[in-house]
Amino acid sequence: MRNKYIESFEKAQLEGKNIPDFRAGDTVRVAVRIKEGDKERVQNFEGVCISIRGQGTGRTFTVRKIGANSVGVERVFPLYSDSIEGIEVVRRGRVRRAKLFYLRNLKGKAARIKELRRK
Amino acid sequence: MEFIVEKIGMSRTIDVPSVPVTLLKVVDAKVCEVREDGKALVAYNSSKKINKAIEGQQAKYGISKEFNKFMTIRVAEGTEAGDLDTAPLAEANVVKTSFKTKGRGFQGGMKRHGFGGGPGSHGHRFGRRIGSIGMCEWPGRVQPGQKMPGQYGNTKVTVKNEVLSFDAENGILVVKGSVPGHNGARGLVRIVK
Repeated sequence: MRNKYIESFEKAQLEGKNIPDFRAGDTVRVAVRIKEGDKERVQNFEGVCISIRGQGTGRTFTVRKIGANSVGVERVFPLYSDSIEGIEVVRRGRVRRAKLFYLRNLKGKAARIKELRRK
Repeated sequence: MEFIVEKIGMSRTIDVPSVPVTLLKVVDAKVCEVREDGKALVAYNSSKKINKAIEGQQAKYGISKEFNKFMTIRVAEGTEAGDLDTAPLAEANVVKTSFKTKGRGFQGGMKRHGFGGGPGSHGHRFGRRIGSIGMCEWPGRVQPGQKMPGQYGNTKVTVKNEVLSFDAENGILVVKGSVPGHNGARGLVRIVK
């Protein structure tokens, strides 16, 4: 259990934050604010969310994608950070685990995740 | 001006860049007696310990039973006996925070002073030993202050912290960065600016 004062301090910061509900296995598109000199732009990073961890303001999620030359790229984002413009859930995946680190050892067709069928 | 505080724990902000913060709770204190040198005797709560000496002091200053620990701290000018006013914290920008560090017991030179140590294998006997502690027949003694193994931690350490916010209602002081000691430890904050 966390301390009530820490909780209320973090709650005050998270007020008004609208984060879509997603879990490991979902494909997400994260819009990240990037500052270059005095210019600011938004860059998208799309991939499979393989882990969500932490609590409160320190909550983070990991997104894995296969980049150029089929090199795996993983980025860890703070879930509530102001640097994140928005998170869009592209596809819901059917997985049986909360952490999908096993995807790092799979490639090609084996690394696919089935889409979640809604009843 | 000083205040008795309790370390609650650490958190972070969601700004860019994110700032690590420490939450401190100001312990309720009653001013018993103001001295002429800008300090005052204050009473605060610590455990349930009570004896006749404490009871005598409580009767003398007319304070209730829970305030069973006494301490002399620096106070603001014009402070009078009664509740210690936390208003100066709301205007503070920089504080110096003093706590006892976490006690690590008797430690060797590598952990206590950051010595390099030697190779762990290949026929070496150096390992984690401290090595030479001085010269030869001259001066024939070890220099005072030579770094050696010994008690590490459980000493008073003061750090400077920026104040980010102060919640007067709950008495929560939010400072930037870390402070020494474990969560729940009692210490002092002194307003610098």
